[in-house]
Amino acid sequence: MKKVLVVDDSLSVARQLEKIINESGDLVCVGHAKNGAEAIKMNHSEDPDIICMDMNMPGMDGLTALRSLVVLDKTVKVVMVTSLGGVGDKFTEAIKLGARNVISKPFEADNVLNILRTL
Amino acid sequence: MAVKFFGQFLVGQGVVTSEALLHAIELQERTNLKVGEMALAMGYLTADDIERAHTAQQTKDLNFGDMLVELGILSTTQLQEVIARQKATHLYIGEALVKVGALTPAKLDACLADFKADQAPYVADRIELPAGLPNQALWETTVDMTYKMITRVLGIQFRPGKCQEVSQLGPHEMIAGMDFSGDANARYLLSVSGRLQRTIAKAVLKEDCVDHEPQEILEDAVMEFVNIVCGNVVAKASQSGTALEITPPMTIHPPENGLPVPDGYCALLFPIHVSEDDCMELGLFIKKP
Repeated sequence: MKKVLVVDDSLSVARQLEKIINESGDLVCVGHAKNGAEAIKMNHSEDPDIICMDMNMPGMDGLTALRSLVVLDKTVKVVMVTSLGGVGDKFTEAIKLGARNVISKPFEADNVLNILRTL
Repeated sequence: MAVKFFGQFLVGQGVVTSEALLHAIELQERTNLKVGEMALAMGYLTADDIERAHTAQQTKDLNFGDMLVELGILSTTQLQEVIARQKATHLYIGEALVKVGALTPAKLDACLADFKADQAPYVADRIELPAGLPNQALWETTVDMTYKMITRVLGIQFRPGKCQEVSQLGPHEMIAGMDFSGDANARYLLSVSGRLQRTIAKAVLKEDCVDHEPQEILEDAVMEFVNIVCGNVVAKASQSGTALEITPPMTIHPPENGLPVPDGYCALLFPIHVSEDDCMELGLFIKKP
């Protein structure tokens, strides 16, 4: 089972992602962080294989957290989940910073699982 | 089911790898010059002129080319020449992928056709707005994207009402809002009844029943819907060269007599009739120039 940490300030999005992950059979959600700072702490405590992280969050946003995560943990794979995925600059910035992929909102379960399973 | 960047579409379809896309983006960045860089390459200005125009932009809302003309650095004819050269040499991401060997020209054509079909639902129809409103195309896109997402994400049939200029919004159960900044400044607001709040929560959470959900989750779902709409508006706007930033969404509980429009803003209201006795309202509080 690959361990996935969900990072999103939206309770409804986090709940959807947790459901998709936990019903997959081969992935398990190990927690939910509400901003980038919490994500960094929970990456240390929960040691996930994958982090699914929103870009636009209050406090530390997703791209700022991504910058830190790729330095602090060379093994964790980060996928950004965002309504801004279609903005070329944002997509490029996320990939350049080390994100493995970007999932655009609104998303479908199959799309999320296809991306997470290829990591 | 969202506005996508063509490169993102190709990676998502497994047509190119993210590594190949990155190579193509790097080629694009080396090839596609900004207005100032192109004017510099054409010998029309100096690096100091570019710096001066950037500084001037901090206190006056003009795009970079217009600022160069405003400051007397370029003539209008020179600016037109610079823009024409920019267009003539511009490398699109698909062309860049061909140049780095990640796509053949024939495959690019086929992928572009697939991409256009995928994005067809997001091509805006004309929406009538008050004459003289700045950034008309952006607000048309915003309204159109809202309508399309109501249909596609919420699965709600509705009848759009005529745009009105108003002095307040609501009152309704709640208003979810999000601020746009950058090339345009405005607050996007979606005002909904309690019944529509539950309908939106069902769709966003993909649940058949939300009767036992706490109010916090119901409000969060409406905010997330606004986040999806606004994120896709920003994506669509960026494709036509309008750069916008958005803040995280917020919940507003309007006073009994409605949410007043702040000074310095004009307010547009778009009624969205869902049934004979239920309606949501899209409000745009647009900062006056």
